[in-house]
Amino acid sequence: MVERKIGDKNLRLVREDITEMEVDAFVFDITEDVKLGSGFGAAIQQRGGIVIQKELDEIGGCPTGEAVVTEAGILKADWIIHANGPKFREEDEEGKLRKTVQSALARAEEKGVKRLAFPPMGTGLYQVPLDLCSRVMVKTISDHLAEGGTLEEVLIAAPDNREFDPFKAQIQEGA
Amino acid sequence: MANQAKTHKIKMMEEQLAKKLNRQVVGSLVGCVHCGMCDESCHYVLAFPDDHKMTPSYKADQVRKLFKANHDWTGSVFPWWVGADKVPLSDDDLETLKDIAFGTCTNCRRCTLSCPMGVDTATLNRIMRGLLSHVGVMPEGVRVVSKDQWEIGNQMGVLKEDYIDTIEWMSEELEEDLGHAEATIPMEKKGAKIMYCINPREVKYDPRTIKEAALIFWAAGEDWTMPDEGWDNTNFGLFSGDDGLGGACAKREYEKARELGVDKIVISECGHGFRSTRFEGVNWAGESEPVPMESSVMTMLNYVREGKIKVDPTKNPEKMTFHDSCNNARSGGFFEEPRELLNLVAMDFQEMYPNRAEGFCCTGGGGAMSMSEYTPRRLESAKIKADQIRATGAKVVVTSCHNCVDGLNDLIKHYKLDCEVKQLVNLVANALVLDEVEKPVEEVAVPEEITVKPVAEAEPLAGRKILVVDDEEDVRTFLITVFEDAGAEVISAADGNEAIAMAREHLPDLISLDLSMPGKDGVETFVELRSTAETEEIPVCVVTGHPEFRQVIYDRPVPPPEGYLGKPVDEDKLVAYASHILEHRNEKAN
Repeated sequence: MVERKIGDKNLRLVREDITEMEVDAFVFDITEDVKLGSGFGAAIQQRGGIVIQKELDEIGGCPTGEAVVTEAGILKADWIIHANGPKFREEDEEGKLRKTVQSALARAEEKGVKRLAFPPMGTGLYQVPLDLCSRVMVKTISDHLAEGGTLEEVLIAAPDNREFDPFKAQIQEGA
Repeated sequence: MANQAKTHKIKMMEEQLAKKLNRQVVGSLVGCVHCGMCDESCHYVLAFPDDHKMTPSYKADQVRKLFKANHDWTGSVFPWWVGADKVPLSDDDLETLKDIAFGTCTNCRRCTLSCPMGVDTATLNRIMRGLLSHVGVMPEGVRVVSKDQWEIGNQMGVLKEDYIDTIEWMSEELEEDLGHAEATIPMEKKGAKIMYCINPREVKYDPRTIKEAALIFWAAGEDWTMPDEGWDNTNFGLFSGDDGLGGACAKREYEKARELGVDKIVISECGHGFRSTRFEGVNWAGESEPVPMESSVMTMLNYVREGKIKVDPTKNPEKMTFHDSCNNARSGGFFEEPRELLNLVAMDFQEMYPNRAEGFCCTGGGGAMSMSEYTPRRLESAKIKADQIRATGAKVVVTSCHNCVDGLNDLIKHYKLDCEVKQLVNLVANALVLDEVEKPVEEVAVPEEITVKPVAEAEPLAGRKILVVDDEEDVRTFLITVFEDAGAEVISAADGNEAIAMAREHLPDLISLDLSMPGKDGVETFVELRSTAETEEIPVCVVTGHPEFRQVIYDRPVPPPEGYLGKPVDEDKLVAYASHILEHRNEKAN
């Protein structure tokens, strides 16, 4: 098991499909127009129902670095935190990624979430470099857990070795 | 001076270009002397002879200019001569480059063969696609498909439960067809000799090819399995130029094969899948000791050569021709084996000209159908291929590639050719002589003839209400009759507005939807049905003969339709699809 203990809280790396996880909430890397689209977005729509997109349509948008919350339809999670991370090598990738992760954590705390799952934010189609992503995400989440709050466990869901290995290295480095 | 005005995106592209420069690429970047010998090898040039922007050298020059401006001494000394003073500066320029790189070239590599300098223009065009994708400039369909493959693991966004369900469906059908309890599709069998990987199009829209392959494996007594993940042999990184995606996709297959401990991966008939899995993926994924891999064409041919299966070519008597997939043939050197197999399983093979390495692209381009905005131009450039096929007089065009199947079907309809498209797996399965099969692995009783499903299933749609939507009265009548004969209660609509109103009022169990209709077309109708609370959950089976279907698959404004059938519709297939969609929906609801 790959994990880092932070006081009585936990940061853990898993290989699960994030849209099927039994957590209180999971994070989805959404675009500014809050359209679920393909990839995990398609899985959310097909497994969770179209009500999620309807709730997003009412919210209307989400600027880069921010996060919004919807219910999760008939998925196992209660909430989906839609966080708009940096995309396609835009400027200040690191700062924007940190702010996005902080926003997602803040929305989770507001909902009283205890178990939250993140995907590696933007490391696929959106071209965020894996070394930068793993370093920033692990540091930002660890710092947040050290400050207290309702969150007890944060999981990073990385099914592929390509993503699992750099996150594992980051988590074990500070464990 | 130019550097001061460059946007951030262009700087990122230039940074990325530096990582793509190797000996082969630089050779192609500096080798072109603009002699024009490649021009007439390109199907876009042949279709648009007066447009210089269609020439291979013009397309390659888009990358060449960036290279000259940033990496080559000629760009410093003679920038006006080598185009280094005309590099893109604004994000609007990138939109123009997108249209060139994605919309005027199918990366078929035919121009490469004509080049006396050995310039590989398709490699340069793929690099341009990769640079654009890196900064998010790509057609919507490319974005949708790439995201699906990155995150879901296959390029059509097929969820794991739907994949497993489809394989089980085909497995049950095979078992019923053969009446043999062991005639099933193995899943996740550790230590099997073969791991069979397929194109997601087979799962989503053509699952019969999976059953046919399973029948052939069974007849040969093969020890094989399908994986529950890492099953997609396609790789959109090859198309989009994203080497990261290319490596991720290929590694999923290789790692799964190692996990299952198989001897080799067999790649179903997909040109793009064969090239990316067998050749390119090994490099993208940094594999030092790749798992052995082969095309299913080789597997089937070896079964016949070694006497593991018996085939009767008289079962395929139609006049046939063969279309070489560019990825299989020109880029893979796979010329003679498919022809040998075709001659073994069919009676009347007529070569089309030119062929093999010099064959023209079907315009499928290993993924070009994902870009609906370029369909009219793509089909216009397909004229040379249509002329080639027409000249053979063949009734069947055989190909070993799923993208080519779609590309050829599009051009056959567009140019009104009197023929259909088949793959070798269809022909081999049809030619199988089951009662003469020797079983090298185990002795099993083979029935003399494939059994027909029992009468209990004579009305498989009994108790179901189906809405048939089609503007053509004869098609509507045909569909109504087929569904009614299968026991369904059928209502019908002749246009989109009527369909939406009837769907809301009657809440049918299934909608059979034509896409090409006057007024509100099928795509708009489909999106509205999916976006309306009362109708969003009603499964839809698209029944169309036109390429606009790709828009709902690839642009994906809403979740995709549950089924797809091309016109003309096969009666049995229609009922089987409808039954499966409804059964699957019930299982999900429970």
